[in-house]
Amino acid sequence: MMKRPALGLLCGVAAASAATLKILPFESQLTGAGASQQLVAVLTADDGTERDVTGEVSWRVTPPALAALDAARVTARADGDARITATLAGAPAASAIVHIRESAKARPVTFAREIEAILTRQGCNSSACHGGVKGRGGLKLSAGALYPKDDFHWITEGGVYQVLTNEVKGARVPRIDRAAPEQSLLLTKPTGAVAHGGGQRFDKASADYRTIAEWIRAGAPFGDDSGRQPRLTGLDVLPPSLVLQNDAQHRLVVVGKFSDGSREDLTRQVIFSSNNGDVAVVNQSGVVMAKSLGETAILIRAAGAFASAGVGVTGPALSRYPSVPRGNFVDDAAFAKLRRFQMAPSELSSDGEFVRRVSLDLTGTLPPAARVREFAQSRAPRKREQVIDALLASPEFVDYWAFRFSDLFRVAIFANGLTPKFSQKYWEWIRANIESNRPYDEVARERLSAQGYGPASRHFIPYNQIGTAQDTMAEELRVFFGRRLDCAQCHNHPYESWSQDQFWGMAAFFGRLFKVGSIVIDHPVDMDWSSKDVDAKIELLHPRTKAPVRPALLDNSAIGIPDYGNPRRELARWMTRHPYFAEAAVNRIWGYFFGRGIVDPVDDFRSTNPPTHPELLAALADDFRQNGHDLRKLMKTITMSRTYQLSNRPNETNRRDVTNYARSLPRALDAEVLLDAVAVVTGVPEIFSTAVSEAGSVGQAPVGTRAINLKDPDMYYSRFLELYGRPNRGAVPERDTKPNLGQALHMLAGATYIGRLSGPGSRLATLLAAGASDARIQEEFYLAAFARAPSADEARDFTVIMATRTQDREAALREFIWALISSREFAENH
Amino acid sequence: MTNKASRRNFLEAGSLGFLGLSLASYLKAAPAVGKGKANSVILFWLEGGPSHIDTWDPKRNSNFKPISTSLPGFQVSELLPKFAKNAHKFSVVRSMHTRGNDHPQATHYVITGHEVNPAMQFPSVGSIITKELGARNAVPPHVLVPNWDRGRQYEDYFRAAYLGGDYDPMCIPDPAKPDFQVTDLSLPKSVSQAAVEGRSAFLKVVDKQYRAMNKTAEHANLDAFTAQAWKMLLTPEVRSAFDLSGESDKTKDRYGRDSIGQSCLLARRLVEAGSRFVTAAGYHGTSWDTHSNNDVSHKDRLCPSLDRTLTALVDDLEERGLLDTTLVIAMGEFGRTPVINANLGRDHWPNCWSLALAGGGIARGAVVGASDDRGYNVTDRVVTMGDLYATVYKCLGIDWKKEIMSPIGRPIKIANSLDDVTGEPVKELLA
Repeated sequence: MMKRPALGLLCGVAAASAATLKILPFESQLTGAGASQQLVAVLTADDGTERDVTGEVSWRVTPPALAALDAARVTARADGDARITATLAGAPAASAIVHIRESAKARPVTFAREIEAILTRQGCNSSACHGGVKGRGGLKLSAGALYPKDDFHWITEGGVYQVLTNEVKGARVPRIDRAAPEQSLLLTKPTGAVAHGGGQRFDKASADYRTIAEWIRAGAPFGDDSGRQPRLTGLDVLPPSLVLQNDAQHRLVVVGKFSDGSREDLTRQVIFSSNNGDVAVVNQSGVVMAKSLGETAILIRAAGAFASAGVGVTGPALSRYPSVPRGNFVDDAAFAKLRRFQMAPSELSSDGEFVRRVSLDLTGTLPPAARVREFAQSRAPRKREQVIDALLASPEFVDYWAFRFSDLFRVAIFANGLTPKFSQKYWEWIRANIESNRPYDEVARERLSAQGYGPASRHFIPYNQIGTAQDTMAEELRVFFGRRLDCAQCHNHPYESWSQDQFWGMAAFFGRLFKVGSIVIDHPVDMDWSSKDVDAKIELLHPRTKAPVRPALLDNSAIGIPDYGNPRRELARWMTRHPYFAEAAVNRIWGYFFGRGIVDPVDDFRSTNPPTHPELLAALADDFRQNGHDLRKLMKTITMSRTYQLSNRPNETNRRDVTNYARSLPRALDAEVLLDAVAVVTGVPEIFSTAVSEAGSVGQAPVGTRAINLKDPDMYYSRFLELYGRPNRGAVPERDTKPNLGQALHMLAGATYIGRLSGPGSRLATLLAAGASDARIQEEFYLAAFARAPSADEARDFTVIMATRTQDREAALREFIWALISSREFAENH
Repeated sequence: MTNKASRRNFLEAGSLGFLGLSLASYLKAAPAVGKGKANSVILFWLEGGPSHIDTWDPKRNSNFKPISTSLPGFQVSELLPKFAKNAHKFSVVRSMHTRGNDHPQATHYVITGHEVNPAMQFPSVGSIITKELGARNAVPPHVLVPNWDRGRQYEDYFRAAYLGGDYDPMCIPDPAKPDFQVTDLSLPKSVSQAAVEGRSAFLKVVDKQYRAMNKTAEHANLDAFTAQAWKMLLTPEVRSAFDLSGESDKTKDRYGRDSIGQSCLLARRLVEAGSRFVTAAGYHGTSWDTHSNNDVSHKDRLCPSLDRTLTALVDDLEERGLLDTTLVIAMGEFGRTPVINANLGRDHWPNCWSLALAGGGIARGAVVGASDDRGYNVTDRVVTMGDLYATVYKCLGIDWKKEIMSPIGRPIKIANSLDDVTGEPVKELLA
């Protein structure tokens, strides 16, 4: 890898004069004896590149008596406000402020703060160790010290945690010994005095050993239990993201934010890890070292909170960064990041490229050859916007998004025992919402609060078909919040701050059922009942405590719910107003247009899976909310952006990029769209037959029905759709578009590819009947399949082959059509 | 290349070059080989759930008499006379204890070892074994025969889920039907060798420009699969594995000329040729689901074919020297209620049921576990699906304690027992 020249050499004197120096954090608090704060000095060059100059600057404290400064760490000496100054030749000096309080007062050791910090930093409570779902070696700790009360219990009382019950197995052996603190397992295990599967973590001379021993000698108190003790509410990582040249280093500082508004340096109390050590590594002081070009995240785990910092490793700065026209606000965030990463976006897509891409993305349909020609010939200055508007208003748009949302909302006769009668009503409800462009929050509210027989109430079919509360809730959160809480059903989430109690509190919104006679129902209509109307009420029981669970929102706030009312109306209001709602929606839609979400997978938002473009996500979500959750408007915003309209032709700077939208990346067409495309290009429709029922009858969808228009797709067996990844709607669908052997066999020998190359009504037959020349046939098929005319090379190569096949021209053309629909250019959106 | 060249020569001559890869590179990826006694499995799938007390665990509340077998002290129902004569070649478990009280849930449970969980899909045991052992001799490693014709639900349970489409079973039609032909496994007669060459010439023209610009991992993967597909299409042995015309009338008769027998016969041909896991699912439409007329159905329709085909399969494997390397499992998704209902039927009973095993690494003549005097509960040696699959994995040389990480980061046990513990091989069942 070429090493980038030092900044000074590259920029010269003139540039250095425009450089700025800053200290992070600009303002900090030191509370208590010995409190300290790590500082970082960052130099920003005039081209926007940043560099860690902590070791190069001269540091000064004024007044000097207030604090000591060593290796850019400032330590409290006396109360007051100190100013820190950093100076470096060629840039104006930078300063920062440090507020020092209670510098003479020693802080007591508490469990939640000091002990949990050690258990976190030493890796004891990592999910690979005692923080695993079932703990390890009989000791269970909450991962990342998310539940200090539980951890305190297991350490001071002993016992072996059980996943599915509150009962404790075996003898209770406390991990501390108040009578003989030195004999405590909490000390003898990590020092290796007693065999420890996790090996030696620290020795008797270490500060951690002394802290734990001191805490046990003090009687192993939990500390202030009144709830007044400040809780860690989050972490600030400074800087929040890094762009490094290869081989460069940069220090990160982690500041804890507490519930009382105080802040404290936690850089030495956290664990740093890199999501991808090939790109960048990090040491336990928070120094990030770039390894190779690419992008990753540094994950930071403190006792009770997670955070991450994005790290990009770039090549040499471009000598001249091109000026790139902006389409709309989407480009601001996307292009700003490309600029930071020294990557230039590709050119604007060609007309053919654009019209094929946008037609597939908005309508799941290839543009007809006539539209491609017309579009290429049009001189209208706003012709791309006109095409987008036309597609958004087309019936195919409604077909395609009804299909998309039927997938997401799981319209399926085999899911939860829906019969076609119910599933078709449900499908019609989805389609009507797409057709009328109903605000997405209204759609969500109706679905979330729906009960009884209504079309939206897919989950709430009467009798014994009601989905379990926990499954229904987890699905709704995944669909509308983009978060997967399923893990928390059986245990606290191993990596996230979702507890089992939170899970069941939310599940309880779906868990209140009523008995009328022998029938169990959710609710007949959207109305409140009284106790006279029902014979019994069924409550959801917590799987560990076996106690009835009251509905509680994810943020732990309980809400007042009438005993016989519909608890989900309030839930639906809360969810659709929550910031997660719009974020999850725009991220999901974005994913359909780019093949990956800003958070990817699109329904896996979590602190350890950060967005690639946080500002873009926030801007899209804001825009979506301000526009009344209008899906079509959102899609127009996305497709009008230059980012969306870039060519797939790479340039030297962006060839390797797959996450920053520097060019349009090829995406395999979904099974249904591909099958419809094969049918339209060949001119031979697919026949969808229902499976043979036990009575022996065979049904068939009307000839010409498109795969995306099948109301109950799982009633129709289709080898092609199975092979190419039609998802099972029995669960939240995950599409697998990866190639497999079955696809390869089917392409070479299968009916979809062999059986429809010619024949009555086919495109080839029509062209032959009209006396079309070879060149004309090639062009028509290219326009239909690729939305472009053949290149001069392709036309020549085709002519050369056809010249040898005058004896069997039609056979040759069939082979050509096979090649066309077997090609990657056809099977992908690009 | 001349037109006289055989398809095989065509392949070997390296005409795959148009896809930018060589056959050698494909063949280099030699499959991992298990270190167990067995190298393949045939699951004889008794869909619907046989009545255990009317088959392998006779009780006084069955209307059929127990008969003695070739194993001293071991009796089975009089409905299984051939099995009785061959009992010493088999082992029987009478203490299966599983979950799922209806067909979908129970099928999912016994095929994956896990209860249905809407949050995720689980790979089938066949897919796991296929992934662990790898393919042999270009033959599809995982096959399900015949495919279900009632929609997708059941087939889905046999799929690979997140392990990936490579390990999904190839689902092929009913070999007992006169027009039996395996989809996509042979080029239609209309596609001549010249046409194959013509296609590749055109594909080269069509794809050149686009591929020069976009080189993705998916393209490379598809190319590798395409090479493998050509190999399958053009290798006579592969097609021959699916071709029952090579079997004598006598053999066909021995297995039975119905989809039950012919599926098992095809399964034998496939493991002989190199398949790893074949599900012979000739009992269609939850055949064994005898909610009414249990006795008549077992006596006239179900047990005679089970008795005939299961013994034919094991005998045939033995005669061909394949029994030591082929593990045979005959089971359904649960047993049936010990009590007869108002329709003279028996209902679902996952609480306690029986199955039979033979071959590859399985002991001969072991009878494991026991139920109470009416077949309600296991009284001795509960065997879970986790235990059963741990046993199977051990026979195949696969580490049964293995956990596979799911896409959401949840470790999934490949031998999942009750209460979230890993199953243990049933020592009595091991040869």
